[in-house]
Formats: sequence, C-alpha cells, structure tokens
Amino acid sequence: MSTDDGPAAQADGDGVDLADGVDHQVAMVMDLNKCIGCQTCTVACKSLWTEGGGRDYMYWNNVETKPGKGYPRDWEDSGGGWKDAEHTERKPGDIPEQADYGDAWSFNHEEVMYNGGDQPLRPDSDPEWGPNWDEDQGAGEYPNSYYFYLPRICNHCTHPSCVEACPRKAIYKREEDGIVLIDQERCRGYRYCVEGCPYKKVYYNATQKTSEKCIFCYPRIEGEGPDGETFAPACAEDCPPQLRLVGFLDDEQGPIHKLVEEYEVALPLHPEYQTQPNVYYIPPFAPPQHSEDGETVDVDRIPRNYLEELFGERVHDALDTIEKERDKVNRGGDSELLDMLTDTNPARKYRLEVFDDE
Amino acid sequence: MSERRAAAVGAVVVVALLLAAAVAGPTAVSARPANEIPVQSVAADEQPQRPTSETWDTVPSVSVPLTSAPSGVPNASDTSVESVRVQSAQTDERLYLRLSWADGTADRNASSPRAFLDAAAVQVPVNTSVRPPISMGSTRNLVNVWYWSADGETEELLAGGPGSTTEFDQAAVETTARYDDGRWTVVMSRPLDSDAANRTSFAVDNNVDVAFAVWNGSEMERSGRKSVSEWYYFPFGPGPQGPPYESILWAVAGLAIVGVALVTIEAVRKN
Ligand code: SF4
Ligand code: SF4
Repeated sequence: MSTDDGPAAQADGDGVDLADGVDHQVAMVMDLNKCIGCQTCTVACKSLWTEGGGRDYMYWNNVETKPGKGYPRDWEDSGGGWKDAEHTERKPGDIPEQADYGDAWSFNHEEVMYNGGDQPLRPDSDPEWGPNWDEDQGAGEYPNSYYFYLPRICNHCTHPSCVEACPRKAIYKREEDGIVLIDQERCRGYRYCVEGCPYKKVYYNATQKTSEKCIFCYPRIEGEGPDGETFAPACAEDCPPQLRLVGFLDDEQGPIHKLVEEYEVALPLHPEYQTQPNVYYIPPFAPPQHSEDGETVDVDRIPRNYLEELFGERVHDALDTIEKERDKVNRGGDSELLDMLTDTNPARKYRLEVFDDE
Repeated sequence: MSERRAAAVGAVVVVALLLAAAVAGPTAVSARPANEIPVQSVAADEQPQRPTSETWDTVPSVSVPLTSAPSGVPNASDTSVESVRVQSAQTDERLYLRLSWADGTADRNASSPRAFLDAAAVQVPVNTSVRPPISMGSTRNLVNVWYWSADGETEELLAGGPGSTTEFDQAAVETTARYDDGRWTVVMSRPLDSDAANRTSFAVDNNVDVAFAVWNGSEMERSGRKSVSEWYYFPFGPGPQGPPYESILWAVAGLAIVGVALVTIEAVRKN
C-alpha cells in the first residue's frame, strides 16, 4: 500500500475539531456509490428501535432518493441550524406536518393473506404522501435521467443546534463519544429540537409525549449485547453492500479520519447548516451523459452544481481526488484511498474499541 | 332663629352622610388592594371543585392581565391570551382556584407533531415569606407549579428557575376543567395544609404570593412561550391590608369624624 501520493497530510492530526467537553467523536462514512436503496438499514433500525409505542411513523434511519423531496417531505426547506460558523445565533425552523412524514399505514394483510381475497395488497387508508413516495423518480430527461440514494441518520453533530434549542437541556452530547441523546426523563415534548435540527432527525412521539432520535445504537457499541460483544450500529452491520464505515473521527489510524481529514473525500451533507455533522458521504459518481443516438458525451450525468448544493463547494475537489486515484489504479498503480473505499474487512471498517483502554 | 335652624339641619345632614360613609366605606370603595386575590370561605357541599358550581357566583373575581413571558425560546413574544379571570375560595380543608379565560379552540390533544395542548399554571413559593423571582423561582427560592393541560392531566411541579421543573411523585392538586362557549374554566384545588418537603403550605399567617400562566396550544404556545401575570397574593396575613383591620380602621375613622362633627355642631348651637 502506497501513501506517497497522499494529500496534504495533517497526519499529526491535532486538526480534528471536537466539540467542547467531548473526549472522542463517533463518526460514520457512507459511500453513496454503493447504495442500492434496499432499505435493509431502515428496517434493521426500525425493528430494533422504532416499532410501536408511538414510533411507527419515525425512521431514525431513512434512505431517500435524490433529487427528491426526502423524508420528511421538503426537510431541506424546513429551517433550523445556525446562522453562521460562529454558532451564536440559530436559524428559525419549522416542525413538519404529520402529512410530510406520512402516516404509518395499516394494510389489508388479513384479507389478502388469510381470507383468500383476490384484491391487491394496499393500505386501508388512501394516502397521498409517505416516505419514498418519490422513490427512483430523480431528475433529468431520458436518456440522461439520474438519481441516487441518500441514507440519513442523525449526524451527531459537533455543534448540534437541537441541543441548543432545548429550553430544558434535555438533549445533550455525551462526553465519552459525542453521541447526541435525549434524556427521556427531562424531555417534556416541547419539540424545539424538532424545529431546531436542520436535518429533521428528531421525532415527536405523541404517545410518550417526548421527542426521540437516533442513538447511534449506543448499547451495541458499548457491548451491551449477548456475550458482551461490541457491534457497529445495526444500519451499518446489516447493509448488504457494507457501504458504511464506523469509528471515531479522532482515531488517526482509522479510515474515517483519513477519508475526512486527510483525503477530504468524505463530506458532510449541507455543511451550510453549520452544525458540523459527523456522518460523512463519499459523493456519487454516475456514468456520463448520452447523446440522443446513444453516444457517450463528456458531460456529468449528475450535475456538479446539484452535488454542490448537497455537499458544498468541496465536492469538486473530492470528486477530482477520487477520479485521480481511480485513474492511477486503472494504470496499474496503488491507491490507499481506493483500498479504503473497497476494503471488506470488518475489523478495519468498524473501529469502535480503539479508545477502550482509556 | 332661622339661621340657627338652618345650621342645625345642615349639621344633621352632615352627620347622617358621615355615618353612612363610615358604614359603607369598606365595601363601596372596593378597598381591595391591587394584586390581591381574595379567598372567600365556602361550604364544601357547594362543590366548589365544579367549575359551574353556583357558589362561584358569590366569590369576587379578579381580572388578571397577562403578557408574554420573557424567554429565549423562538417567538416568545408572540402569545395570544391577554387576561385570565381568577377567583379563589376555601373550605376548612382545601384551597380552590378558579381560572377562566377566552380561547377560541379547545386543544385537548397533542397527537401529531405540530399539535400542542392548551394549558394553564399556577405558581406559588415554597417559602411563602420570601417572594421568589417571577420566572419560575430560583435555585435558592423554589416554587410549586400546578400545571394543568387540556388532555386532562395535572402535574404538580417543583422548579428553581426556568427549564428546571421536576414532578412531585404524587400530585396533591386536583383539577376539573370545562370548555364552553369559547372559554376554558379550570378549578384547581389542594389541601390548605402540607407537611411534605418543598410543598407550599397555605396554613400560614402571612400573605402568599401567586402567579398565573396560560398557553394556547393551537398557537403552538408551549414552554417559555406563554402568557404570564405578575405576582398576586392571597391575603392570609394579618397585615393592615387584611379585611378585619380595614373595617376597624374605617370604623375608627368614621367615629372620629362623627365626634368632631358633633362637637362642631354643639359649638355652633351655643353660639
Ligand atoms: S442531525 Fe439534527 S438531531 Fe442530530 S445532532 Fe445534528 S442537529 Fe441534532
Ligand atoms: S442497507 Fe445499505 S444499500 Fe441498503 S439502503 Fe441502506 S445504506 Fe443503502
């Protein structure tokens, strides 16, 4: 493995910006080039954490089609986050309507499966929107239409505006690993966090009368399962193409630190919200556009300016870096970067015990 | 002679007027000091816990103005309820508060992400001899908050500053609410006495501060976004503003005036 062609190294690594009072920061890198939109992650999360009890409509992990309205619908226009990088003033935000999330539909399973009816399986209600209603629609005209999948969880941000929004300090960023949690005893369901999170990753539970969110599967990473084994979050472990890396941003030996801080190819979603997410994405590549008679033409299928909208200006350099490394490998060379992006060894993809001895 | 007669008649009229003033004074001037919530004795079998009980017709009502609470939450200055009518009564055992305010919609459930409950709260100091900061007390000067919400729940909370409420294990406050014709009417009651830690006792010889808050759920009012009053008080103390003292003072003043008048008339007649 060669590192000689590495980027401007910050290998001494004090450059990692951790939140005040946080010892280490959990982080995740998702390679969007590998997501097949199978929703296994969504189901893994749902069956573990959000079945019943007022949680049916919640998807702590969701996978949405981009371009698209997302979940909840038009969340990118719902406000929240910070006005600027000073993190002193927050932007106002809205609480989405129930209709924007979609209801938890009940289906005619009974009739179709057990009573021998020949009607198609369908919701009992007559819904007009729901998660993935616009799945695979994307944008662009044939033969140059395009879309990709964007899996989303809470970003366990370094400057979480949800935490700042809570008048009761019921949400906190925990010291040992920067996971953002809601103290269910303190929460009184005011939902300032729901409107304050620009990613709309806090959900109101109308049965419990409290707000709830992704917990980064902390019992799994703490080894609370049978046999005391440590597991990565379920959305990562259960992903068929294994596109998620899980570890700590400040673990300088790990791939996450290298991809985010050194190669700068893993980027936060909507950096302009200024919460400094700790979920990072390898931006998607797509085949180039085709002319009407099917010839490949040298135009990006996914418009760069669209990717810039999602991932900020740094997306250009990130894509260029990856492209350069791919060319290098195509010419028979080595690339530490591509090795990391194609690694299949779970021990290297999930590095959750590196700070255990502290 | 006719002059004298006129003087005598005049004197009699003056005396009559003064006597009338002395007797009627305490009631006619509505001598209730500002910010007092009078507590009227009522019989328990009149069912004061019912918002519609006729006993409330006999209890004086105070119109308490409300303003937006100072708070850091978004849109804190955007509140909709401008006043609350407050009445208070007591039996031998219990203290009753009847709050009534206008609200065009009864928001009785918070069953979707944007739905919030109508609510009302009453705040009293734990240590009734010291007035705490109005915004939910302070760490050294705690308050009890009786929080009713329109889903029917009542919580009894302890607070020491904004955002610090914790619930008492068992609420001693009982609430009955009614929504009718665009108004909520809520009766809260609690035993007068309490020996539980940090629970306000009303079996005291001093005035007890009390403040009020109302939330309109359909306007997304919750938490620090609320309409609040300034401090009011229950006149449990023997202070000069208490009703018995007041009557005595009026009587003494009246008698003195009458005495002076009589002496004056006598002097005129001897003339
Ligand atoms: S993604 Fe939203 S909920 Fe999660 S930490 Fe950031 S601001 Fe808070
Ligand atoms: S399980 Fe993996 S591939 Fe499937 S939708 Fe989730 S992130 Fe994408």
